[in-house]
Amino acid sequence: MSRQPVRFDAVTLEVIWTRLVSVVDEAAAALVRSSFSTLVRESYDFSCIITDTKGRCLGQATDSIPSFIGTLPKTVRHFLDHFPAETLKPGDVLITNDPWMGTGHLPDLTVAKPLFRDGKHVGFAASTTHSPDMGGRTGTADIRDVFEEGLQVPMLKLMDAGRIDQTFISLLRKNVRVPDQVVGDLWAQVSALELMERRLFDLMSDYQLDELEGLADEILDRSEAAMRGAIRAFPDGTYTYELQTDGIVEPVTIKIAVKVKGDSILVDYDGTSPQVDRAINVALCYTYAQTVYGLKCILAPDMLNNDGALRPIEVIAPEGSILNHRYPASGQTRTLVGHFLPFAVFGAISKAAPERVAAGPGSPLWSLQASGVNDKGETYVNKFFFNGGTGGTAQRDGYNVLSWPSNISCVPVEMMEQQSNFRVMHKRLREGSAGSGKHRGGLGQETLLEYRSERPVVVGFHAERTVIAPPGINGGEDGKTGILEINGKPLTPAQQKVQHVIRAGDRIHLKTPGGAGFGAPANRDGALISRDRKAGYA
Amino acid sequence: MPYSLGIDIGGTFTDLVLFDPESGVQHNLKILTTPEEPEKAVINGTRQMIEKVGIKAADINRVVHATTLFTNAMIERKGAVTGLITTAGFRDVLEVGRERKFELYDIFIEMPEALVPRTLRFEAMERMSPAGEVEVALHKASLKEACDKLIAEGVNSIAVSFLHSYANPAHEREAAAFIQENYPDVFVTTSFEVAPEIREYERTSTTVANAYVKPLAAAYLGRLEAQLREMGVNAPLFLMVSSGGLTHIGEARRTPIQLLESGPAAGALSAAFFGGRSDVNHVLAFDMGGTTAKLSVVDNGEPLVAYKFEAARTRRFKEGSGLPIKISTIDLIEIGAGGGSIAHVDNMGLMKVGPESASSRPGPACYGLGGTMPTVTDANLALGYLNPDFFAGGTMTVDTGKAREAIGGLSEETGLSVSELAWGVHDIVNENMASAARVHVAERGKDLRKYVLVTTGGGGPLHGYQVARKLGLKRLVCPPAAGVASALGLLIAPARVDRVATIARPVSDLDWTELEATYASLESEARATINETVPEASEITVRRLADMRYIGQGFELVVNLPEGPYDGTSREVILEKFRAAYRDVFTLNPPTDRIEIVNIRVTVSAPTGMAGAGESDAKGSTDAAVKHVRKVYFPEVKDFVETRVFERSKLPAGITIKGPAVVEEPESTLIVGPEGTLTVEPSGNILVDIAA
Repeated sequence: MSRQPVRFDAVTLEVIWTRLVSVVDEAAAALVRSSFSTLVRESYDFSCIITDTKGRCLGQATDSIPSFIGTLPKTVRHFLDHFPAETLKPGDVLITNDPWMGTGHLPDLTVAKPLFRDGKHVGFAASTTHSPDMGGRTGTADIRDVFEEGLQVPMLKLMDAGRIDQTFISLLRKNVRVPDQVVGDLWAQVSALELMERRLFDLMSDYQLDELEGLADEILDRSEAAMRGAIRAFPDGTYTYELQTDGIVEPVTIKIAVKVKGDSILVDYDGTSPQVDRAINVALCYTYAQTVYGLKCILAPDMLNNDGALRPIEVIAPEGSILNHRYPASGQTRTLVGHFLPFAVFGAISKAAPERVAAGPGSPLWSLQASGVNDKGETYVNKFFFNGGTGGTAQRDGYNVLSWPSNISCVPVEMMEQQSNFRVMHKRLREGSAGSGKHRGGLGQETLLEYRSERPVVVGFHAERTVIAPPGINGGEDGKTGILEINGKPLTPAQQKVQHVIRAGDRIHLKTPGGAGFGAPANRDGALISRDRKAGYA
Repeated sequence: MPYSLGIDIGGTFTDLVLFDPESGVQHNLKILTTPEEPEKAVINGTRQMIEKVGIKAADINRVVHATTLFTNAMIERKGAVTGLITTAGFRDVLEVGRERKFELYDIFIEMPEALVPRTLRFEAMERMSPAGEVEVALHKASLKEACDKLIAEGVNSIAVSFLHSYANPAHEREAAAFIQENYPDVFVTTSFEVAPEIREYERTSTTVANAYVKPLAAAYLGRLEAQLREMGVNAPLFLMVSSGGLTHIGEARRTPIQLLESGPAAGALSAAFFGGRSDVNHVLAFDMGGTTAKLSVVDNGEPLVAYKFEAARTRRFKEGSGLPIKISTIDLIEIGAGGGSIAHVDNMGLMKVGPESASSRPGPACYGLGGTMPTVTDANLALGYLNPDFFAGGTMTVDTGKAREAIGGLSEETGLSVSELAWGVHDIVNENMASAARVHVAERGKDLRKYVLVTTGGGGPLHGYQVARKLGLKRLVCPPAAGVASALGLLIAPARVDRVATIARPVSDLDWTELEATYASLESEARATINETVPEASEITVRRLADMRYIGQGFELVVNLPEGPYDGTSREVILEKFRAAYRDVFTLNPPTDRIEIVNIRVTVSAPTGMAGAGESDAKGSTDAAVKHVRKVYFPEVKDFVETRVFERSKLPAGITIKGPAVVEEPESTLIVGPEGTLTVEPSGNILVDIAA
């Protein structure tokens, strides 16, 4: 393997890089603790990065969710196209939620701050968070276009040379249901950018760096070389897979071809279903992010996140397909398709290297969003998450009720009851929901909610895999499909994706899918079989 | 003559400290822990100690104890066969947890397994509302059925955790009374008594952990108390709790979970104590041993306390990989950085150090016990920081050649020389610790530059100087006998009781009479325990705190509040305390002023008697304290420098020495760089000033 010319040796680079990651982690910790919405603090639905002047990411906060690895540095580069470097001033903060330049849907607000050190532009601090509301129709896939999705924020200067754009803030507050939370989170994001700026400048002083480009070259080249090494160790070939999702009125087909050639990978989604007139379209930026997440799990789970590691990977999807939709179609609930992509990668690779992947998970993530007016006349939004089981692997059973591919926590039952008018009647493992196998899947959960207020509430869901089960791998059986019921009546995929008015005494039962099995059930260890029987898992 | 005895049981060694407050003399003893019957080592050690010092058992008027027994029981899964009874519909909460993985990309992680398997989790019919109103009365027949099934499965400790018991514990109390009456041999723990806080998973996890170690604690503490009596020690037995306070044996038996982090708590207290002797108000306590380093923040003599903790992690240094325990505990971070940490080059061509450790067998390459991987200790030897002829006080022989050889193994991959590599290992492990310290201190809203590093443990003084430089600190303190300083913390701890109650209400909706009554009742409960611990306490300190947040936020800040009693006029004062605390941590107050109190807390403490220690009584000159001169590497000059090595016990008080310098004592070695100046204080501390 040929080595790049050494600009930083093995020790110096390690020391600086460790410190750089601690800078973004410190900002992430401050953001989590000071945010107003459960989306950031309980669900970690955010990211913080530092880039050089070209928008090349040097480090990303360790706890950020996977989907933003791929998107945020690209958004910074879009900002640069829109606001060329010579138009940027100290104290500027840029903002957008453009789905195609951001993360695929409007609730994700991205902010970036150009960093000026002694008057010289040295890079950007940037952050994306999932805002608790962006107006529009909410918590449902029943949205026809991006205008129904809510407030669109074009590329703007939120702060111009340190001055906040109050007109924008007023406009934002007026268009969202929970203005204090939305603006509070935005404020927390801006503070995080300032924190990154201060800490980065300390670092640059300590190591006498007057620019970040050389450091970026070194970090990105080494990361790229390591990723290329990992790819080279994988046998060349074209690995294909096809899966279906419940969709809305008809199933969505995802067709993937993972082409490994030498030290690079091309992922092609040719043959995938066309875009639809509902909100389950996935912008290419998000398609890319979920795809590289799956590949990274397989190839380099330990590697730190940055653009260099992703250079050898290209992802394409036909324009106008559900994985690369055109304006003005909506991607509001893009996870309902996007969360299938890491598993599509696993499915493709499973034939060549089953030991490196997991069987089908009980995802996408399920959720319930309720919005209404409380007794004091205030508008509110409650959002609760429900995970399924994960798939079995060559090494062990799948995990019961665990978030994958995302990493979103449940809201505690006591918090749900305190913050909403729902009573949780039970929340328990869903017995028998796992696909059996040498290593079975993880169990899903069953949660029963009862509504207790005389004021009706509008509820929207995210639910999937209620028709088409998580597929087994290597002879493992499929996981059990999920069931979403209102007052005992199961909802069809189309019914799941429209809003429902819920009244006092109504009951909602969410039974999330179980993970699929890995390997033939006949090969399962007898001790595990009897444990499962005794504990009531199977 | 009144002597104090401190006993710290660790996984490998049991440390004893006997202290004579009149003469200020401290005696140390280290013996092997006896894991099956831990009291054996304690009794043997105590016997050896009193013989060695020549006193009688009856001369000991105070015994203070810390132990990792319960932590280890959880790690090794050696606790009681424990059952759990929950509200009907929720027995799986313990297993489902928070549905989040602690590592994003590794699909093979090991998630922490619940302490109670599903077969031992049953349900009782009952229901409280979030406001604490009874919605369904406790159904005794379902409770009895659950208990009978658990007893039939051989359970001897039962945890009871009902929804919203923090708001109204009546059903848990009723259940506990029922179990005690009908199954008198079974231990009971209710969630309300160990962690009366909202969030059912964390509370249940804590309850179950307490139930899991409770029978073990009762048996062990009973035997220890009896055997100490038997040998003539009549002094009361105090236990150190994780928050750094002391409690009495009854409380320790009731909620042994509080003892989980007692050892590290003693270490932080000790750093606080020695910092105080050099008039340092803001201490960053830095303890580094063979496999881990620990850092904690001490302000005005009191270590910061956190209200959550993780036990029995499946991946040691990874947050989220353990079982959540909601107790008051000294707020410390543990980093996989110690003398045994192994250096290697990763697939990106970067040098990494730790968290893998060579531990004591085979140990670092220089031990010559078969270890070939280069470690931090090997680097320190190659850099001249450690003395091969005085390793571990001269009790071990080490081979510098083997150390250099192991380090040289990384030359080809990196293109660096042995010296560059050795410095690299030292520097990287320092950066790992400094980075962790920066994030830890920043998360608590503190300004690092105000702090002085207090170095303890075998590695603290070796690495402290460079770590302080990285953090931009101007000063460090190296206490006498820094290598074993932490056991002394036991003898200087105050008695301390922490109590908590969930309020969960906007400040605007508070009933101030009710709030005052709740604070008052927590205080009287805590005072009662303090009075049992220290019957004639000279002064009792009561502190009120509250977990507060802006409505809509999910994490609370623990805010120090003024003394009571409160009434309607307290409102603005309390709000302003919160706003100020918030600004400290997050710089800016957000554009809202709707604030709520989630939990209220009371801390009651009382001094238990003080100790002085380790004062320097050496006479003579600087030159007389020089052991020899050796070549030591300093990054400031990027080269080895002929450096004077001093014997600590011969350094007279008041003396000032310009760096570079090395100061050796049996348990540790202090390195001072060329820009440093050390001063020996009359207290025995060495103060190092680092020029900017």
